[in-house]
Amino acid sequence: MNHQESQRPEKVNPLEMRDLGFIESGNNDGLDDNHDQDELADSSQSRQAVDESDSSEDEVAPRNTIGDVPLEWYKDEKHIGYDIAGKKIKKKERQDKLDSFLASADDSKNWRKIYDEYNDEEVELTKEETKLIRRLLKGKAPHAEFDPYAPYVDWFKWDDAKHPLSNAPEPKRRFIPSKWESKKVVEYVRAIRKGLIKFDKPKEEPRLYLLWGDDSSSADRTKHLAYIPPPKPKLPGHEESYNPSLEYLPTQEEINTYQLMYEEDRPKFIPKRFTSFRSIPAYENAIKDSFERCLDLYLCPRVRKKRINIDPESLKPKLPSRKDLRPYPVTCYLEYRGHEGAVLSISVEPSGQWIASGSKDGTVRIWEVETGRCLRVWELGEAVQHVAWNPLLELPILAVSVGSDVLILNTGFGNEEQQRKAKELLQIGTPTSSDDSDDISSVLSWLQDEKHDCIRLRHFRTVSSIEWHRKGDYLSTVMPAGESRAILIHQLSKKLTQRLPFKHHGLPVSSVFHPTRSIFFVATKKNVRVYDLLRQKLIKKLETQLREVSSIAVHPAGDNVIVGSKEGKLCWFDMDLSSKPYKTLKCHPKDITNVAFHRSYPLFASCSDDCTAYVFHGMVYADLNQNPLIVPLEILRGHTSSDGRGVIDCKFHPRQPWLFTAGADSSIKLYCH
Amino acid sequence: MEIDGDTNEDNSRRIQVRFVTKLKAPYKVPTTAIAIPSDLSRLGLSSIVNKLLQAVVSEWKTEPFDFLINGELVRMSLEQFLLAKGISAEKILEIEYIRAVAPRKEEEPSPHDDWVSAVDGSSPRFILTGCCDGLGRVWKEAGLCTHILEGHSDAISSVSIINSEALGSVTVATASKDRTLRLWKFDAEDSNDHPAMIRAFKILRGHNASVHSVAAKTSGDMVCSGSWDCTINLWRTNDSDTDGDVVSIKKRKVNSKAEQSQSEGEAVSMLVGHTQCVSSVVWPQHETIYSASWDHSVRQWDVETGKDLSNIFCGKVLNCIDVGGEGSALIAAGGSDPILRIWDPRKPGTSAPVFQFSSHSSWISACKWHDRSSFHLLSSSYDGKVMLWDLRTAWPLSVLDTHKDKVLCADWWKGDSVVSGGVDAQLRICSDISIP
Repeated sequence: MNHQESQRPEKVNPLEMRDLGFIESGNNDGLDDNHDQDELADSSQSRQAVDESDSSEDEVAPRNTIGDVPLEWYKDEKHIGYDIAGKKIKKKERQDKLDSFLASADDSKNWRKIYDEYNDEEVELTKEETKLIRRLLKGKAPHAEFDPYAPYVDWFKWDDAKHPLSNAPEPKRRFIPSKWESKKVVEYVRAIRKGLIKFDKPKEEPRLYLLWGDDSSSADRTKHLAYIPPPKPKLPGHEESYNPSLEYLPTQEEINTYQLMYEEDRPKFIPKRFTSFRSIPAYENAIKDSFERCLDLYLCPRVRKKRINIDPESLKPKLPSRKDLRPYPVTCYLEYRGHEGAVLSISVEPSGQWIASGSKDGTVRIWEVETGRCLRVWELGEAVQHVAWNPLLELPILAVSVGSDVLILNTGFGNEEQQRKAKELLQIGTPTSSDDSDDISSVLSWLQDEKHDCIRLRHFRTVSSIEWHRKGDYLSTVMPAGESRAILIHQLSKKLTQRLPFKHHGLPVSSVFHPTRSIFFVATKKNVRVYDLLRQKLIKKLETQLREVSSIAVHPAGDNVIVGSKEGKLCWFDMDLSSKPYKTLKCHPKDITNVAFHRSYPLFASCSDDCTAYVFHGMVYADLNQNPLIVPLEILRGHTSSDGRGVIDCKFHPRQPWLFTAGADSSIKLYCH
Repeated sequence: MEIDGDTNEDNSRRIQVRFVTKLKAPYKVPTTAIAIPSDLSRLGLSSIVNKLLQAVVSEWKTEPFDFLINGELVRMSLEQFLLAKGISAEKILEIEYIRAVAPRKEEEPSPHDDWVSAVDGSSPRFILTGCCDGLGRVWKEAGLCTHILEGHSDAISSVSIINSEALGSVTVATASKDRTLRLWKFDAEDSNDHPAMIRAFKILRGHNASVHSVAAKTSGDMVCSGSWDCTINLWRTNDSDTDGDVVSIKKRKVNSKAEQSQSEGEAVSMLVGHTQCVSSVVWPQHETIYSASWDHSVRQWDVETGKDLSNIFCGKVLNCIDVGGEGSALIAAGGSDPILRIWDPRKPGTSAPVFQFSSHSSWISACKWHDRSSFHLLSSSYDGKVMLWDLRTAWPLSVLDTHKDKVLCADWWKGDSVVSGGVDAQLRICSDISIP
């Protein structure tokens, strides 16, 4: 009841306020009557003074004026407090508790009496007051007269109002969505995203799990990067069966041979047959096996094997299709037959009408390209090492190396004017070598050969290769055994010979003039040296990294060089790029005997002793940033091997994408596109 | 009428056919429809027609026939042919038969001293050959040489008969690797046992390199020549001195007893445009010259202006060209690959060949159209074969494998013979080819 009273609304009568104070003082004993009577009166008077305006119903003003102090302060005093005048209010005489109880038991109105400790008196509640308390307890308005549901009286009259109450326009907030709400929503959304608000229901734990399942794939294990599942023990197969098929059972002899084997090679398990399940003995190695398995598991280091899964096709360089690189020589249609020994060298006339060939049988032949007809034959008596047609169209002469001689032959082609000039050129008037240095004249002599009506340049060593300068006046000869005078340059118009003014390194193999500039390439067995003839100095040394260089060819633009080697490798040098090979192509199983560039088509070829010639697409771009494109195109077969040699020379037709090959089988073949 | 000779015919289908022909009386068969097994090929059909003919004419000699269905030659079994061409086998099929184009006779070879590099059979009275020993020869028939044209210092590369209509003397032109062309005159009719030596009446100089081809104008007053120096020269043939061309008249120095004047001629005009050797020229019409070159092109030249009218790019080196066929407009050319290509220059906007014949196995050295038939042409190749072609089928009509080595030249002769010369130094004549 007291608790209920504490929740009373503010507007209560002072009596209840007193009750409140009385209860708050902590003294729960409602029957305590230690206080003096007069004190009670005083306090009630003082109360009266405090709440004077409050209530008119209080017939007795509270006399006690001590205020809101704990009443036990006055417990041992004779008074309970002071009245408004400052006089002590005496405690009333204590009634005997038993008497008072008896009295209250007798009194029917006792339930309505309350002891007011503060004023030290007994108050009897009136009927109205109890009603009021009851109403309050029910949560109704304290006064019965108060009607909470009184009809609403609309004091404002709307009937004749033309205008709304306010002339102000409808505020904007009525139309826009609430900013606060959206903020709140955003807040919730963020919280959901962050995971602060969770919707998920508690997961049901699967009640069943695979007892023998593969726990290596379980999620918590694989989360660790370093976890490597242990290797699984081998599962038993048919031969471990208690009743295996007969083919699994070893015969007695096999079992005996097991005894002869080493311990490691011996099979771990020998299949046996049992008639029934019941007769199987215990496995004697069970403990040993599981022990070893445990040893394996914890002692054996496990490493994750890195397997790179790359499609080998994707590693190949992207090369254009062969079809797009046409034309290039493909099939052999023509054959030039007539030589009786291996054809060692061929040379195509610069217009492409004839080819010359030199053979081991000591003949030089000129063939018509179109028909394969042999037009001229020179019998020279010794194996012809090299033939080279003069690069000038109007000078149809041919340089031929026979042993240690170089013959410059007049082919007899061309019109009368050209013939006259050629004949004039091939006449040696007076032996002029006075301005030569002595060492040259001792090793070389210009002679007139009457038999073949030509010039004979007698060298002191075997000449292996001849190369014309592009203007057709100079030619260089290479004598591999010539030491310091291995490479000589002859001038045909003045019949002069000079030594290459550079120190030689290694054994020279071949020499080439640059197609446009005054640059000279000398291929030795190991590398290629590039000299500037005008400034007389070494420009570059190309390191082939090959065992033995056999041939060299210069791209018609002059910046790229290919070098063939005796181990079957072909090196492509880009002179602007580096002195190391740009590409090394290993395609021939045997020696490369010669390499050649086409004059106008982007083709180059190599021929080898394995009786094949390879044709490549070798595109050199004008753009310096773009590397040359090299695509293998075709393997030309057809020659047969003879004395271990296959194709000895190859040359391109100067105008058509055709390739001539000279073979040791004494034939020359023409491969056309 | 039924043919039921064989017993195993019942398991194959039968087709109703009717044999028709444009051939004359002894070759006619009754035009009733007959049922024949569908798996018959050309040989079977031929035997049927021969049997039919035997029924008409009692002593009939069997003869091979070729068969045309809807203008195409049958080269497989009838069933396959009908399937491939999508022809219904329900209706009565009309099969036209013609005499097979194949030589029935091979004449005696005519031996030369060196490779036979050129041949011309445009005159029915004789064959003109050029040889690598520098001599031209005139053959009246196989093995009978009537004249020898002597004078070139190098191999003859091409010969051309300029006018053969005139009864008395005949003019011919030869081109040689010695950079000259020579014109010759002889009487084709006179024949004695010993071949007569003829000297050229005119030497045409002007080419800077070997001359590869010569062709005469149809009217006969001009020739054109293609050379290795990339030009085509036009020359006048008349020996008389109407123009101021004749520069000098030289007495022959070597052989003074046969005093004969030799005039020298200069080129009237020069057609420049090819970038490489002009390997072959033809002059089929009055105003147009066709030329094939090693620069992979076929050009058509207007003689009056000297400009090239059209240019067909082939991609391969070309060695021979001929113009003929339907409307004398198809260009056939062969070269450095085994494919004989035929272009139709009237077809606009394309330079793709309309026909390609690829049965040869090496370079093609010569191709010639038949002068009467618009379907037939021959080609010779370095593989030693001469093939006869019909535009109506992709297979060769017949393969003449008489030469032992490369065939360098071939031509039709008299309309029913093929003359060819090659590296084996023989001129071979295959005759009695029936071409409709």
